[in-house]
Amino acid sequence: MHSTDQNLSIAVDIGGTFTDISLLDRVSGNVWRAKTPSVPSDPSEAFLDGIRLALADAGAPASALQQVLHGTTVATNMILEDKGARTALVTTRGFRHVLDIGRQDIPRKANLYTWVKPQRPVPASRILEIDERIAPGGAVERELDEASVELAADAIAQMDVEAVAVCLLHAFANPAHERRVAEILREKLPELAITTSVDVLPVVREYERSLTTVLNATVMPGVTTYVGRLEKRLEDEAVSAPLLLMQSNGGVAGAAAIRQAPALTALSGPAAGVVGAKSVAARCGIEDIITVDIGGTSADICLIKGGHIGLTQHGKVGEWPLPLPMVDMVTIGAGGGSIAAVADGTLSVGPRSAGARPGPAAYGYGGTEATVTDAHVVLGHLPSKLLGGRMALDVDASRRIIADKVAGPLGLSIEEAARGILAIVDNHMVGAVRVVSVERGHDPRRFTLMPFGGAGPLHGCALAELLGISQVMIAPAPGVLCADGLLAADLKAEFSRTLPRAGAIDGEIARSVFAELEAQASDWFDIEGVPGEKRRLRRVALLRYHGQGGELAIEWVDGSSALEKAFAEEHQALYGFTLESAVELVTLRVEAAGLTASAPTGTVSEDSTVEPYDKVRVHLPAGEADVPLVDRAGLGSGATFTGPMILTQLDTTTFVAPGWSGTVDPSGALILSLKENISR
Amino acid sequence: MSQSATALRQADPSGKEARICDPISLEIIRGAIAAAQSEMEALLERTAISAFIREKKDFYTALFDADGIMAVGSMVPIFGDMTSPVFETFPPDEMKPGDLYWYNDCYGSRGAVSHSNDQVLLAPVFKDGKRCAFVMSWAHFADIGGLRPGSISPDATEIYQEGIIIPVTKLADQGKVNEATLSIFHRNSRFPEQSNGDMRALMASVDLGVKRVGEILERFGADTVADAFSQLLDRTRKLVRSKLADTFDYGTHAFTDAIDGDGHGNGPFKIRFSLTREKGPDGEDRFLFDASESDDQAPGPVNYLMNRGVPGMALGLYYLGGDPSQVCNAGGPNALDDVRLREGSLLLPRFPAPLGMRGLTTMRVISAINGLLNVAGGGAPAANSAYVISIMRGNFRAENGNLERFLLADGIGVGYGARPDADGIDAVYFVAQENYPVEFLELGYPVRLRTYGVVPDSGGAGANRGGCGIVREYEILAEDAVLAVRIDSVKNPPWGIDGGMSGGTGKAIVNPGTDRERMLAPLSDGNKLVRGDILRIETGGGGGHGHPFDRPLAKVLEDVLGGYVSPEAARTLYGAEIVGSRIDEVATKRLRAQRPATSRFHRKDYVDALD
Repeated sequence: MHSTDQNLSIAVDIGGTFTDISLLDRVSGNVWRAKTPSVPSDPSEAFLDGIRLALADAGAPASALQQVLHGTTVATNMILEDKGARTALVTTRGFRHVLDIGRQDIPRKANLYTWVKPQRPVPASRILEIDERIAPGGAVERELDEASVELAADAIAQMDVEAVAVCLLHAFANPAHERRVAEILREKLPELAITTSVDVLPVVREYERSLTTVLNATVMPGVTTYVGRLEKRLEDEAVSAPLLLMQSNGGVAGAAAIRQAPALTALSGPAAGVVGAKSVAARCGIEDIITVDIGGTSADICLIKGGHIGLTQHGKVGEWPLPLPMVDMVTIGAGGGSIAAVADGTLSVGPRSAGARPGPAAYGYGGTEATVTDAHVVLGHLPSKLLGGRMALDVDASRRIIADKVAGPLGLSIEEAARGILAIVDNHMVGAVRVVSVERGHDPRRFTLMPFGGAGPLHGCALAELLGISQVMIAPAPGVLCADGLLAADLKAEFSRTLPRAGAIDGEIARSVFAELEAQASDWFDIEGVPGEKRRLRRVALLRYHGQGGELAIEWVDGSSALEKAFAEEHQALYGFTLESAVELVTLRVEAAGLTASAPTGTVSEDSTVEPYDKVRVHLPAGEADVPLVDRAGLGSGATFTGPMILTQLDTTTFVAPGWSGTVDPSGALILSLKENISR
Repeated sequence: MSQSATALRQADPSGKEARICDPISLEIIRGAIAAAQSEMEALLERTAISAFIREKKDFYTALFDADGIMAVGSMVPIFGDMTSPVFETFPPDEMKPGDLYWYNDCYGSRGAVSHSNDQVLLAPVFKDGKRCAFVMSWAHFADIGGLRPGSISPDATEIYQEGIIIPVTKLADQGKVNEATLSIFHRNSRFPEQSNGDMRALMASVDLGVKRVGEILERFGADTVADAFSQLLDRTRKLVRSKLADTFDYGTHAFTDAIDGDGHGNGPFKIRFSLTREKGPDGEDRFLFDASESDDQAPGPVNYLMNRGVPGMALGLYYLGGDPSQVCNAGGPNALDDVRLREGSLLLPRFPAPLGMRGLTTMRVISAINGLLNVAGGGAPAANSAYVISIMRGNFRAENGNLERFLLADGIGVGYGARPDADGIDAVYFVAQENYPVEFLELGYPVRLRTYGVVPDSGGAGANRGGCGIVREYEILAEDAVLAVRIDSVKNPPWGIDGGMSGGTGKAIVNPGTDRERMLAPLSDGNKLVRGDILRIETGGGGGHGHPFDRPLAKVLEDVLGGYVSPEAARTLYGAEIVGSRIDEVATKRLRAQRPATSRFHRKDYVDALD
């Protein structure tokens, strides 16, 4: 029953296919988990279903919740599948093609003979020019001609768009024109979502800022509607706890901040998974891991070395540079719902996904495309019931769809076709693992592979073999790792100011700018309800030598010579040299964090018995065989087993391939090892 | 042909059958080298001082085996044999860990660098006292002295006017840097602080490369890494040779292209390439590339001292295509059995002919190789326009009231040629070379941009459209400035193929639309500008591919609505009648019924062959 000694946080991670829920009592460390199919037409439905399920399990009332944490792939899927809102862009006259020109380069690693410039999220035909001009430094050089904005608004009204991005030259130095343009557009086009560049990425360089603003606009209607609906549902359910959303940087933030800059959630769900993976692996003493998070639509691959999750400001989502702080990972369009299709005699898998509805044919929601999940079903990798028996799989439907869509056109047997689908999708994922490992100078064979997400543990052994990795770790609850990561994440926000002109470090100016930024941070803490003892602030200066193009982030110390010394030391350590040139202060930043309590820390009791509850016919590469089905919930610490075996649990299914053996760690995680001398 | 022996050195052909490096290690070594290159490049980008390097990113890196054969290069068809010029002065067997070599001497390196602004640093990498590899960083320095700020000028008539020449020099001896050499070099620059900062960054990037490659050697062992290099070279060479055999039947295939002139009243200059495939005495195919019929060298600085490795690099890159598992390296040049050049020609000028503006010639060389592939039956792109550069030098009034000197070298993108399966690329400069963003430009230089966009109708019409060029219009805020401009492909616009039409041409105009309007010579220096002048530069587009009437109407419509094609051109060239934002189906059908006849090539008019 609900008691005053509880401090309940609930985390909800909505993937394309399933919604995962973890409820944590931060006082006792008790965890309750739930999983429910996502409802793409209204994801908030599954969101609340899941909360009800978990609360019922815990026997707690909705009013007892202190925090509702949420990670979402709504924004990332819209960007990756190019399904964001149809958007128009308003820019300064004369600069309509900035977005298309980009940086006017053929990428350094691309081949000039074959490279095709990616189609921008907003084509030039939907880019409008208005009359205004801000000079460098922020002075108004030409007043905003409001009539030109109204003309643009009229044209936009004819364009059948849902969102408008506004990015004007030098707006980061003076936001007045962008703000006024947004006001006029809101007045004339009240039903459209409006984004200004200064609210998303107020930094120099018009192409990157335009692109980020445009991406923010394309996801804004979807994310705003969605967050509003969630809040309404929570209110109806009498939940008074604040809704906190995971950002791409691995920290959470309140809904208000996310409404303004939904692009900050571009890697929301994936970042949560990585935070969760790190905390689970740490409990087994494993610090070097490659995570592969396979959901319904996409797979996110990240490398954690020495327990450290890398952040980047040079990140990309799909084809696009998105210079917002984010976890350094690679996302590809490959997941359980990825559609296998034959065109011109060639089989391709993804990036199109059947999602949760209709989903794979096996789910029985009328899916009419062959998916990766259907291939697993055909080969017998999945038991006939999922979600603890609440969802039955239609094996015949999977066989029919693979016969029709893949096996028939290619003249293969159904099993061969299914194996081909898996080989292609595995190969695709291996390519992405190479990007985060070998292409960054890491040997994947020295890492533990940690597949998670609903579909991850089905692919773990196959991916490891392709990569030469001999150890695979399966978290206790791999399907809800994102939800666990939400519970382990701190609140995070950054407040920064780029000085009008870069120049010598002036302690007085810096103090007054920091005071302003810290006042903003303090307001943010108040809004987020972070109590005083949980507040953490870090002052950072971005410095460079006069003339350089990139800055180094140096923790602020009082006194310009001390700061310059710290900068020189960092420059020497990173780049191996220093210069006599003047050191310039470019930007001041305050990083604010609201600490949360620790993540779930369950253990399993010691028990070495492994008792299959059933067996299933599986099409292995070497031929058909009966493979034991084991309930993972019954496995205790110290249990050992060998493949082939299928381990089932509420949130995922693990396929232990022939040649692999496993043990159960005291934390409940499975450690799978490839036996020596196996020839495959 | 005394140079070909060194220029086309082959990897050790003794061909060990049992490979030491397994396929997984090979992929990891390849990935680790690519990662090391990315790190070296990121370091340069973040730490260099001149905008030319840090913003425009005019720099490349490469890695060579123990004998100096390029094992992993950058994805650009401009490098040849970078190491043998060093070896001739400094025998590799006498090199020590911590040594660092430097040159920018175009003639002394036989075109390994092809204008003096490009500084090459090369360092050996040792493991257990054995030389195992070389690392190179290469970057364009903004000013190294010479006739005019920026060091390259259309006015130059000999290379002495194009800045200080550094013959192959040992810059560091076992880690001890020869500071005297550096101080002489920096003293010759009009912007010594930039020169110093850029050189420190370039040296640091080589140091980093040496460290990273050392780690790779440590992890895999010298023999495994050497075998990996040799496999990477073999793989590329075999692939290129087999594809050459697919494209080129036995016999001689020839193609001629041209640059407009040299800025001194001479031209056009023809570039004549041929490729001959024959059976050698051993029964193996021989591929002979011949550029010796090209025109004589130019008095002005458009000569391109073409390293013998360049044609093979370009062909290699073309055949590697978009396959990410392939590596651009000396396997391309090694696939050719001989490359002939003629001393005294545009592509092998005699010392001390000026070279500074050779960029326009390199772009025409790439297009001429496309032409050669096309006449032999390959599916290469149509011609690219030659990227444009404007160099503005002058004085501006600083905030403190003093006059200060500035140098702005602004590279401007062009349209690339259309391909059999894709449009030409709109508005790009070159591989890896980026623009100066408008906001960056205005924060750092005394100019205000009035427009930055694509030039409508500059892309050659075709079923696949040639890429469009760029318009960049500046208001001059400097008190005074002298402008050099480099625009080619005006008299000889980039050709289209298989019904595709030639691309548009570039121009530079001062004060357009006023009574003070004046058109500048496309390749010229000494153009005076004063505060308040408007400078408008338009660049050319790429050639089209396929009959314009075969372009899908939806693409024509999107081009018109996006400002890439005018409604008039849609009607006259594409046979598409566009009214407002819609296609007039009836009128379009009528137009497209009158389908014009075409020929193989188009340059202003349809012709069967170009000469």
